[in-house]
Amino acid sequence: MSGVPTLNPFSPGAASISHLFMAILFVMLAIFLLVAALVTVAIIRYRDRDGAPEARQEFGNPRLEIVWTLIPALLLAVVFVFTVRTIHASDPPIAGHRPDLRVIGHQWWWEADYLGSGVVAANEIHIPVGRQILVEVESADVIHDFWVPELGRKIDAVPGHPNHIWIRADKPGVYLGTCAEFCGNQHAWMRIMVVAQPAEEFAAWQRDQLAVPAVPESGVAAEGARIFRDQTCINCHAISGTAGNQRIGPDLTHLAGRRIIAAGAAENTPANLFSWLKDPDSIKPETHMPNFQLSDAQAHALVAYLETLK
Amino acid sequence: MPKAKLAVGLFILSEANFFALLIIAYVYFHAYPGPGPTAASALNPLRTGMFSIALFASSATMILGVRAYRARSHRATLAWLTATVVLGGLFLGGQALEYAGLYRRGVAVNRNLFATTFFTLTGFHGLHVFIGLVAIAIVAALSASGRLAGTEREADAIEAVGIYWHFVDAVWVGIFSIVYLWAWL
Amino acid sequence: MSGAAAAMRAGEPSRAAAHRGLLAWVASVDHKQIGVMYMLSALLFFGIGGFEALLIRVQLAVPNNHFLGPDTFNQIFTMHGTTMIFLVVMPMLAGMSIYAVPLMIGARDVAFPRLNALSFWLQLFGGFLLYFSFLAGGAPNAGWFSYAPLSEPTFSISNGVTYWVLALTCLGIGSIAGGINMIVTIVTLRVSGQTIRRLPLFVWMTLVNSFLIIMALPVLNGALVMLLADRLLNAHIFSPAFGGSALLWQHYFWGFGHPEVYIMILPAFGIISEVIPVFSGKPIYGYEFVAASTVAIAFLSFTVWAHHMFAVGMGHVFELFFVFTSMSIAVPTGIKIFNWSATLYHGRIRFTTSMMFALGFIVMFTIGGLTGVSFAVAPIDWQLTDTYYLVAHFHYVLFGGSALAIFAGLYYWFPKMTGRMLNERIGRWHFWLTIVGLNLTFFVQHPLGMMGMPRRVYTYPDLPGWMILNMISTIGAFILLASVLMFLWNIVSSLSSGAPAGDNPWDAWTLEWATSSPPPPENFALVPPVHGRRPLWDLKYPDRADELVAAGEG
Ligand code: HEA
Ligand code: HEA
Ligand code: HEC
Ligand code: CUA
Ligand SMILES: [Cu+2]
Repeated sequence: MSGVPTLNPFSPGAASISHLFMAILFVMLAIFLLVAALVTVAIIRYRDRDGAPEARQEFGNPRLEIVWTLIPALLLAVVFVFTVRTIHASDPPIAGHRPDLRVIGHQWWWEADYLGSGVVAANEIHIPVGRQILVEVESADVIHDFWVPELGRKIDAVPGHPNHIWIRADKPGVYLGTCAEFCGNQHAWMRIMVVAQPAEEFAAWQRDQLAVPAVPESGVAAEGARIFRDQTCINCHAISGTAGNQRIGPDLTHLAGRRIIAAGAAENTPANLFSWLKDPDSIKPETHMPNFQLSDAQAHALVAYLETLK
Repeated sequence: MPKAKLAVGLFILSEANFFALLIIAYVYFHAYPGPGPTAASALNPLRTGMFSIALFASSATMILGVRAYRARSHRATLAWLTATVVLGGLFLGGQALEYAGLYRRGVAVNRNLFATTFFTLTGFHGLHVFIGLVAIAIVAALSASGRLAGTEREADAIEAVGIYWHFVDAVWVGIFSIVYLWAWL
Repeated sequence: MSGAAAAMRAGEPSRAAAHRGLLAWVASVDHKQIGVMYMLSALLFFGIGGFEALLIRVQLAVPNNHFLGPDTFNQIFTMHGTTMIFLVVMPMLAGMSIYAVPLMIGARDVAFPRLNALSFWLQLFGGFLLYFSFLAGGAPNAGWFSYAPLSEPTFSISNGVTYWVLALTCLGIGSIAGGINMIVTIVTLRVSGQTIRRLPLFVWMTLVNSFLIIMALPVLNGALVMLLADRLLNAHIFSPAFGGSALLWQHYFWGFGHPEVYIMILPAFGIISEVIPVFSGKPIYGYEFVAASTVAIAFLSFTVWAHHMFAVGMGHVFELFFVFTSMSIAVPTGIKIFNWSATLYHGRIRFTTSMMFALGFIVMFTIGGLTGVSFAVAPIDWQLTDTYYLVAHFHYVLFGGSALAIFAGLYYWFPKMTGRMLNERIGRWHFWLTIVGLNLTFFVQHPLGMMGMPRRVYTYPDLPGWMILNMISTIGAFILLASVLMFLWNIVSSLSSGAPAGDNPWDAWTLEWATSSPPPPENFALVPPVHGRRPLWDLKYPDRADELVAAGEG
């Protein structure tokens, strides 16, 4: 939510990692100080000044050297043991559980399918507080990586190689994440927003998502709906209750309810939607959503329509 | 330790890693095959086996060639080296026929993953055979033109070429067993 | 060639000599000239790669910056990484080995001088091929390890990645030839009396390193030809959409890639193992441990590759194996750190610029090594992989490690190569600017990574703390620019007006210091007898020769 996410866990999994990380950071600090001290003392005591003693011609001392071979080895053995523990604590086996959520990375946005309820969301993922959610992570094109530091480990979305992780949030709130594997031009704007809500709020959200929005009959919104149908939009976008059912772009059925568009590149305001439709590149350069050279009137109509998709 | 021999030994070490990668790729996609032709459906182990014998034999003639050279008998050297080149050429000819046949049946390098890994693996081996043949041919030509003084250094150089040739041969033993014999089983 | 050598010895080449000299350089098969050409090309590309780094840092100085577009930025960081690794560190270290090794073993030249020249020209050609891509419709843009399927024609339409493949194949072949050449040289051309256990440590590590090269580079070449098949013959080896495997590429690349990172550090270890003893006035502490730990590192380096893949979902069993091997590497490396430190004790330390860089190396490399170990702890990697914490790790080992060692080596051998001393006062400036710039640039990247900033992003949202840390990093980069310019100025000015060096300015004890500076084409008029690891020391103090001391009579 703020601060240093990797050290600020909101799930047991993330917590076990950050505890280990803290410990390792201290070990590293200690070793660094040791080495730094060794060097500093030496260069102060044995620097070449007049009256300094001749350099002693010594060739080493195997006993001593074995000592500084063994001590790090033992230290690492201990670290290894804790690593084994943490691996199992932070990434428990899925043991036959069915995924609650399938997250699919696309260039450059996230699709989120709720396997239980059939809700389809994009970029903004809602989860109930305090429940372990099993996420199946896949990719529609290149390798992406699903990472929400405060909720747990990251994992790659590898095409043809579905992966699974548990995420969980113990406090309600908004948790920011991002695609962490380089996936092309807009890797930078392939961000994730996880919204953790109390069970009943979450249930309410799911109900809203399942509701089929009414297609406006009159006014600019109706005009927008027509344009959406005629202007190839439906070749890529799905809006339930209309002919559009494609999954190439984000599902827009409840677009108006989202906080962000274009995977975090802009806040979801009518103004931003307008400039997005006029020229997607102005908000997210080199994205896969084409520029349709819409007239201002058309764009306004579309915005009016999309704004009805609560 | 003669420089030339050591150098070839090291070169072989690195080439072995190169082929290891191509073989791993082949085996991997043999284990997870896709649709389309497979080793079993596309290859003819018997026919290729015949041509392989030519390659194996060429290793023997190469050894004899080097022996003859060390024994200072130029005519024998020339004879054995020529035999080596002929046998190696025979093998390449066989490979050419095999490729032609595969292409006729539509098994091109981009047909499926079996085809791709098969052609990259055997193709790069063929390339190595060809390079070896050129080297041996040069040595043969030199000994024919009587330009070789018969020094130790020359003997080592020729033996180095021989070592490389045996390596190419050994790699084929591996490829033949993995690609052709495995398909049979 | 003799003309050039004579001119260099005199320090001020007359125009005529220079001209004859230039041709002589291009046609040269002399290991000294080829070594110098390697180093010069590396320096040139360091300028270019560094310039790209500055572009990166300018773009990232502030959030939501529009200085570079996404695709341009991706090309720049891909070229920066590829350049620094394949066109700067590798050729620079290769050049130093090619220059110094024959001298250190009392040889006239390398085993195969013509092959040596071929390696260099392949290297240079590969470099130009890589940069030609800019003119041919776009540089490679898939990162320095070109993960599939992003590097497949489906997703990377420009020819950039194809040029990347061809260039790297060129460099790879050149490096393998160079590695073979080095091993044969060291095995067959040592002066009598210099047994394997008396080899200078720089030569030792070059030997081990050459084995790493001839084992690892063919792995890269194998992977590259397969990627080429995908790109040019539309095969699908690495395209999951057509039954290929994306992870196969990763295993291949890192099977090369991890040994590669040690290829970039072992010769650096070698330089440090020469510089520290000389300026402490003592033999290396525990020669056997330092030498043997190098071999251990070399073997281990082939067993850790998948620690670059902890996030792909390999399964815990495999992950634990790679956790174990990756941690193990810290032990032999630690031996080196501690033995170098021990060498300082009871010594008489001379703070030459070379020595200061060597000491800086010990401390800076340790930071990078320790963060490396934190990555070996898989769960930590699950959080921090592909963040700026990783960028910090590898710059501390590569810049704080390899680069500092290279500077130490250049200040150490420059007098031998040119007959002139580098200016120590400018050297000090160079050193301190480097240390300050290095830590400003890269230390802040640790917290940035922990705060969740991923690598390879052309811009970032204005989240709390991100902007200030990025700004500091950018400022640090410009301090590094100043330090590099300082260094270049030092070289240029010293070439013409540096103090004459004499044969053995540091009163060092390995064989290269027994001949004139720069050495004559034939290297040695007469190679001194070798009865121990420090022939020149034995020559200077016959009564305290190492073998006597070792025998307890000193
Ligand atoms: C010079 C190059 C170099 C060197 C020497 C190292 C050294 C090490 N590296 Fe690093 N590494 C890179 C270059 C290098 N690395 C690069 C370029 C990448 C990124 C590639 C990319 O993705 O772009 C990378 C990435 C990388 C990863 C993958 C991270 C990821 O992608 O998620 C890992 C994971 O284990 C790792 C580990 C290590 C370890 C354990 C060492 C060890 O060898 C370090 C050993 C040294 C020490 C530990 C310090 C001294 C020791 C002591 C003082 C003794 C006491 C210490 C202890 C008891 C701990 N490195
Ligand atoms: C040895 C290797 C090496 C070295 C020395 C450096 C040096 C530097 N690197 Fe680089 N870096 C890598 C290896 C290296 N890097 C690699 C492998 C990657 C990963 C790439 C990838 O993700 O694919 C990377 C990525 C990388 C990134 C992350 C990019 C991203 O993920 O988006 C950043 C960002 O800050 C960065 C910065 C720097 C800086 C500021 C320097 C500075 O130290 C540079 C200082 C040098 C100069 C400033 C020289 C300037 C001199 C002149 C201009 C004078 C001109 C003179 C002549 C022509 C002779 N590097
Ligand atoms: C060629 C396929 C394609 C067509 C046709 C298309 N889009 Fe898109 N659209 C996309 C893609 C891909 C994205 C995701 C872009 C990104 O985030 O990088 C997107 C994103 C959007 C978004 C933002 C959604 C979100 O939650 O981030 C809106 C709104 C949108 N499109 C509206 C439209 C409208 C209106 C039309 C018709 C005029 C249209 N699209 C036509 C592919 C398309
Ligand atoms: Cu998707 Cu990076
Ligand atoms: Cu590694």
